[in-house]
Amino acid sequence: MSNALRNPHGSRLAALILLSIPVALYILVFLTPLASVVSLSLDNSALGTGFATLRAATEDGDADRRAQALLTDLGAMEQKQLGETARMLNQEKTGFRSLILKTGKEADTIAPTMDGLVSFDKRWADQEYWGIIDRNIGQITWRHYQKATGLKVDANGDLTISKGDDIYLRVMGRTLLITLQVTILTLLIGYPLAYGVTNGTRRVSGTILAIVLLSFWTSVLVRTTAWVVLLQTNGLINTLLVGLKLTSEPVQLIFNRFGTLVAMTHVLLPFAILPMMNVMRTIPKSQSDASRSLGAGPIETFLRVYFPQSLRGVLVGGGTVFILALGFYVTPALTGGPNDQMLAYFIADFVNKTLNWGMASALSVMLLSTVVLLVAAARIGQWMMSNRKGIA
Amino acid sequence: MNYLKVARISVVVSLCASPAMARDFTIAAWGGNYQDAQREAYFNPFAKAQGLKFVETTYLGGLAELKAMGDTGNVTWDLVMSGGTDAQLACDEGLLEEIDWDALGGGKELLPAAVQPCAAGNVVIGNGFAYNTEAFAAEAPKDWSDFFNLEKFPGKRGLINNPYMNLESALMADGVPLDQIYEVLSTPEGVDRAFAKLDTIKSELQFWEAGSQPVEWLVANNVAMSSAYNGRIITAKKEGKPLEFVWKNHIYNIDVWAIPKGAPYKEQALEFLKIANTAEAQAKFSAAMPYGPTNVNAGKLMSPETVKDLPVGENIAEALPYSDSFWIENYDSLKERWSNWVVQ
Repeated sequence: MSNALRNPHGSRLAALILLSIPVALYILVFLTPLASVVSLSLDNSALGTGFATLRAATEDGDADRRAQALLTDLGAMEQKQLGETARMLNQEKTGFRSLILKTGKEADTIAPTMDGLVSFDKRWADQEYWGIIDRNIGQITWRHYQKATGLKVDANGDLTISKGDDIYLRVMGRTLLITLQVTILTLLIGYPLAYGVTNGTRRVSGTILAIVLLSFWTSVLVRTTAWVVLLQTNGLINTLLVGLKLTSEPVQLIFNRFGTLVAMTHVLLPFAILPMMNVMRTIPKSQSDASRSLGAGPIETFLRVYFPQSLRGVLVGGGTVFILALGFYVTPALTGGPNDQMLAYFIADFVNKTLNWGMASALSVMLLSTVVLLVAAARIGQWMMSNRKGIA
Repeated sequence: MNYLKVARISVVVSLCASPAMARDFTIAAWGGNYQDAQREAYFNPFAKAQGLKFVETTYLGGLAELKAMGDTGNVTWDLVMSGGTDAQLACDEGLLEEIDWDALGGGKELLPAAVQPCAAGNVVIGNGFAYNTEAFAAEAPKDWSDFFNLEKFPGKRGLINNPYMNLESALMADGVPLDQIYEVLSTPEGVDRAFAKLDTIKSELQFWEAGSQPVEWLVANNVAMSSAYNGRIITAKKEGKPLEFVWKNHIYNIDVWAIPKGAPYKEQALEFLKIANTAEAQAKFSAAMPYGPTNVNAGKLMSPETVKDLPVGENIAEALPYSDSFWIENYDSLKERWSNWVVQ
């Protein structure tokens, strides 16, 4: 401190050094994984480096030379790389795995010609296998994005989507829809609650705040599981409904869209309430009083004085909920049915079950770019609105 | 992307946290009652015989952890229990130690399917379906064709959210003989046929991910019938839950012990396999957890009450052995088709 007083430039240096630590951390824990996800989605070095000889031989197109190059490449692979190559190619065509493993293990004994390969396994006569190898031995690949979007280049060179291949686009659409529904629900429920906290009596506001914060501090997993217990067929709510003779049979409340929306809304509610509350706190109460004293009714006062000023909080709360909900995984997995799973579910599946990190990364990039596009669109919308206000 | 990030960070953190050998012998298995029974039958006797301490962790299938260990060289497990398919895949990619069966006595007492290049088959699991006995008091469902019969047995159905086992069951329900299931499933028409059969109950389907879910759902009446592992159902039944497991036409597969490549306690892990392969230890395990032994002599050491709940003897007279090799080849394409089918 005393040093800083004596030498102001030294303090700037100290500040810079101090700042460099969080910046470096930020780059390490945020930007590096992001960059590696993008590179994973395009990276094909696992296949690309293994088939260097074949790639060179493909240029002159002689079948025997290609067969020889393939055997050289497969024979040079270690078990680990051979297994990985086989797994990745099998993602493109069923049966490729055994073909690669078999050929790789026997590479030394097979005659290095196309006839030799075909007599070893007649599948090598099928051009489809060769075509898949040709398409996938570059250093980078677009195949994960093709699969993620369902877009294919057909024989005429046109981009097409065949029916049934657009699964991830449909899941993306579903993800956006659920997210939007949850955002609207949290805002509808959260707004009156936030209003109650800021404008209610001490007791009301204290109670609401305590409940909101309590659920905010509880683990997502616990709250989700609690909803499973409440909503299941023999759960509390169904028992109540049947007991009150409102329904004769238990209603299906969970493992469908309803359960997903209820649980997600509850989990995300604090993220909507807290920002709205903060903004509402800054709205002077005297303004409402002034409006009332000037003759406006309570509804008009709310709509013309209070609500427009609270809108900033609604935007921040809604935006936070929207972005958090887009990446939700555990809650829909536990409370939804197969048609309520969001994109994150499929990403986790690719990472954990099939080890297809390329596909997982491509889907992550798809989700990320959707967020970026939406944020950009919101910014542009905001800018246009403020411009129009300026003209008016 | 959050999950990848978390995964990466946790890999980095665990790299910093654990130097290679300064840890105890680590066993990864499926958790729950299953692992409790293994602790009694295998882990404790093994630790006592070797005079070492062990720690346990859980593993939920897939190759992700094994691949991370192989890539980083930081092998945090010495022994893992996995499904046969994953073990074969991991073996092909060099993620598991190869097993010198001569050093283990050749594995002559074991089922031939249990003697694998990188793994020792240890547990036989019955994958059938179960129902709530209160829901079907008048007439009980007997086989897969009843499972697919919504008119005679109305109500929701639970199935695992994966193509494996389900496509086989659909074909069995459609009348394909047991010895032709995988033959039929290898053809595009056979796959179409299986999905067409699944279409007939799709409106009532609910998909599970974890083995505990079928029991919860059946007990809570969320579903009327569900595919399930025999061990989970029989354990719940012993606790007094009104459940029944259908043995006819169930599919049985083998869970295996394997050693991750480069495990620092490889020698001790091999000693573990010797214990785990014995008839005595397997009989002890099966008495606590109703899954079958791979040691053909273990049955002689068990009581008839234990045997009647296991996928052995009479129970597997009309059962289908699960084909790991079929699913290794076909999983990617069929999983894609399955995901598409589920979403439609």
